[in-house]
Amino acid sequence: MSYFLPHLTNGWQVDQAILSEEDRVVILRFGTDWDPTCMQMDELLYSVAEKIKNFAVIYLVDITEVPDFNKMYELYDPCTTMFFFRNKHIMVDLGTGNNNKINWALDSKQELIDIVETVFRGARKGRGLVVSPKDYSTKYKY
Amino acid sequence: MFGATKDFLGKPAPPGYIAGLGRGATGFTTRSDIGPAREGPTEADIAKLQEQARRKAAEDGDDDERFQDPDNETGLFNTAPYEADDEEADQIYDAIDAKLDERRKARREAREKEEAERINKERPRIQDQFADLKRGLNTVSMEEWENLPDVGNIAGKNRKKANLRDKFAPVPDSLLPRAQEEMATSLDAQPNGLATPAPSMTNFREIGEANKSVLGLRLDRMADSASGQTTIDPKGYLTGLNSVVVKSEAEIGDLKRARLLLKSVITTNPKHAPGWIAAARLEEHAGKLTDARQIIDKGCQECPKAEDIWLEAARLNNTDNAKKILANAVKQVPQSVKIWVQAAQLETVPKAKKTVIRRALDYVPNSIKLWKTAIELEDDPNNARILLARAVELVPLSVELWIALARLETYQNAQKVLNKAREHIPTSHEIWIAAFCLQEANGKPVERLVVGAVKTLSMKESALSRDQWLDEAEKCEKNGFINTCQAIVGATISMGIEEADLKSTWMDDADGAIGRQSFGTARAIYAHALKTFPAKKSIWRRAALLEKAHGTRESLEELLVRAVKFCPHAEFLWLMGAKEKWIGGDVPGARVVLGAAFEANPNSEAIWLAAVKLEAENGEHGRAEKLLSQAREKADTMKVWMKSTVLERQLGKIPEALELLDQGLVKYPTADKLWMIRGQILTDRGDNQKARENYIKAVKFCPKSVPLWILYSRLEERAGLQTKARALLDRARLLNPKTPELWLESVRIELRGNNANFAKTQMAKALQECPSSGLLWSESVWLETRAQRKGKIVDALKKSENSVHVIVTAARLFWSDRQVEKARSWFLKAEKSDSDHGDAWAWHYKFEVEHGDEARKRDLAMRCKAAEPRHGEYWQAVAKDQKTAGKPLDEILILVAASLPSNVVA
Repeated sequence: MSYFLPHLTNGWQVDQAILSEEDRVVILRFGTDWDPTCMQMDELLYSVAEKIKNFAVIYLVDITEVPDFNKMYELYDPCTTMFFFRNKHIMVDLGTGNNNKINWALDSKQELIDIVETVFRGARKGRGLVVSPKDYSTKYKY
Repeated sequence: MFGATKDFLGKPAPPGYIAGLGRGATGFTTRSDIGPAREGPTEADIAKLQEQARRKAAEDGDDDERFQDPDNETGLFNTAPYEADDEEADQIYDAIDAKLDERRKARREAREKEEAERINKERPRIQDQFADLKRGLNTVSMEEWENLPDVGNIAGKNRKKANLRDKFAPVPDSLLPRAQEEMATSLDAQPNGLATPAPSMTNFREIGEANKSVLGLRLDRMADSASGQTTIDPKGYLTGLNSVVVKSEAEIGDLKRARLLLKSVITTNPKHAPGWIAAARLEEHAGKLTDARQIIDKGCQECPKAEDIWLEAARLNNTDNAKKILANAVKQVPQSVKIWVQAAQLETVPKAKKTVIRRALDYVPNSIKLWKTAIELEDDPNNARILLARAVELVPLSVELWIALARLETYQNAQKVLNKAREHIPTSHEIWIAAFCLQEANGKPVERLVVGAVKTLSMKESALSRDQWLDEAEKCEKNGFINTCQAIVGATISMGIEEADLKSTWMDDADGAIGRQSFGTARAIYAHALKTFPAKKSIWRRAALLEKAHGTRESLEELLVRAVKFCPHAEFLWLMGAKEKWIGGDVPGARVVLGAAFEANPNSEAIWLAAVKLEAENGEHGRAEKLLSQAREKADTMKVWMKSTVLERQLGKIPEALELLDQGLVKYPTADKLWMIRGQILTDRGDNQKARENYIKAVKFCPKSVPLWILYSRLEERAGLQTKARALLDRARLLNPKTPELWLESVRIELRGNNANFAKTQMAKALQECPSSGLLWSESVWLETRAQRKGKIVDALKKSENSVHVIVTAARLFWSDRQVEKARSWFLKAEKSDSDHGDAWAWHYKFEVEHGDEARKRDLAMRCKAAEPRHGEYWQAVAKDQKTAGKPLDEILILVAASLPSNVVA
């Protein structure tokens, strides 16, 4: 579903996207459209985009086309989702040990909405780190 | 920073744009194994991009030059070669520049520095503002840095906490017992007594002490700050300590305000003594005695002519100082009696006191108070007399002084003194009365004097009224001058009363006097009344009762003898006289009195019966019989007949008794008592048939006699004819509706016949017919089961309007519950409600036998004897029994108590 979501094609656009939103969370998905993980994530993102449009906006960034942030944001995973609010990177404690980003594809719309909402609420209060409503620690997976 | 662009989508990046740089983005390094640890675009990147940009700009430089300002052309000759003279020229220009720069350097630099300072001052940089603080930061240790608290977001947390504080939840029950345990251990107040003291134990004592010391500190601080300096004088401090506890902060506030107010009063009007006094009192109240003294001292200086202020000053100081102050005071106000008296009081030695008072009298010779004080101080009567003599000369209008002088003088001199006093104060009744008393004390008759005095005084304008005279008479009586009292009463009692009102007014006066315990006055009033109305029985009677209650036996007998002389037909007086003689043990005397009474009232039943009673109770049965037979002839009444038969029966002469009854019943067929006696005699003999005939006849003649019906029904019941008994009672109830006794008997018949249910229905009917009968209610209480009695008794008390039966029942209920004190109080209530009810006495006696001591029993018997109860079911049964006839009441009481059933009724 990547073709329904706006793509950012250079570093300037990415910066502008982050800077231009005053009251909404900017969700950036870094990855490649053909990647299966990204496909899953894009599907999910597209399905909630309309629901969260009042407090979040979603952009997709092809990391081969825009390699400017690869080092800066350590974009070495196939699919990385990051949150920004008023030009501030919002970290999310997901229980995985990496609070900077979601580097896998979620599989539940509600979970995604919950995370975005938590990010929005926390960011509005000035927090740089919010705690995800669900713990994605691998210890629960086994 | 770059401005945000809305329509950035699909647009190319500006040339040389470094992603993230303009936004100030910083990267992160989480895993150095998968990427380089670095933040943002590298220096190399930036340098490369700048190089690119420069190169690009160089490539299309023409474009740039097109827009160059023609006035500021830079490269007009830069195409020409740079030669030696050019270099020289440049050097010269540089030299000139340097020279010019050099010339104004000092001034310019000073100006620049000034400018910078000014700007700095106007708008200081934040670093400069905190420069001094920053300098101190080098002392902060590493740990302190570590321990700096995080700022965090506390707004939300606070809100949450505030909400929590307002929320209340019910305390779980488990907390209460735990709290109680804690209290119990901590209140033991012996922390050493516990082997292992609980760590959370609250020491209330320490808390209390701490509170006290804190309060004390605060008060001290306040007191200090209020006056501006520390004021701790040992005395004021000690007195202050007493008041420390009671003073709340509000009170201290009030004090301050009052202090301010009074201060303004004394400053605006310093000649106003009360203001000074109030200010001093306020300080005294605030516990600052020194301040108070200072204020009052100033006040004394400001208002030296006000005696109150001097007195206040003396009061506020200790004795020695007070003496000095009062010495000053008398210099200023030598006429003030109060100050002199106060000064005298301050002296402890009588001699010193006398000196002060005498000195005072020099200044104020006409003060009664001073004279009195002086005289009181004298121990020697002679000295006192001399003083008094002088006093009456100087203050001739003081009645008290005259009288006091008269008391101290000998009889003759006293008379003279009083005469002189009368000359000076002709309107004073006190002097007259003193004169009467003097006469009486010396055994002289006073009547004529009193009459004269009353006449003289009534001519003056200040004559006393009758009531005032009577008051004076009572006073004389209280002082032991009975004759004077009587004389005054005799002279004044009929003053200004209408002829018609005389008797009633006198009786009222006498009652009032008795009420005020002035029996002598009352006696005098009666005496006077009897002199005026010798034929009035009622007055004799009252006088006799007064004598009986408060006089001696002799005086009573004497009075009664006089009384019967004037009212020979008053049976009451005769009987009272006889009884007095009898009680006094003078039986022949009593006989004589009764004999005289017979002569005066030959037909009086009461006197006959009294005579019979006297003989019978003294064992003179023959005389009694003779008297009765005479009585039957002379005073032919039913009561005489009855007494005759009773006497015969008592003496065991049954046939004679029956004969008498037959004769009596012919004369008085409606006398139910005769019928009853006859029935009882017949029943006692076991002659049921005759007894029944007797009763049949009796109820025909006396259908309204309730006891007759009951006796009849009991006869049948004893004979085993319960149905007949029941029917008889039904008939009786028809003839005598609303008679609780009959209903009670019906209920009892059922109870005796073990017919409890029917008894209850009967009782319900009974209560419907007689809803306020205490007799029925108390019985109904006993019909209930034990548990229901308490409820029933409340009903009973309400409905029966506190009848004595119900009260006794209530007392018995308490007794059966072993509530001794309550039971006793209810028995006492019963006694108060109706002292004529013998059963109540008996029950109470029985109760005291079980729960009381000897003293109570004796006391009760005494009271019972005084009350002479006559009624009550058990009481009458015992009291009228042949065996107990003639026994004293206290013995009867014991017998009745013994005859009572056991209190605990299941």
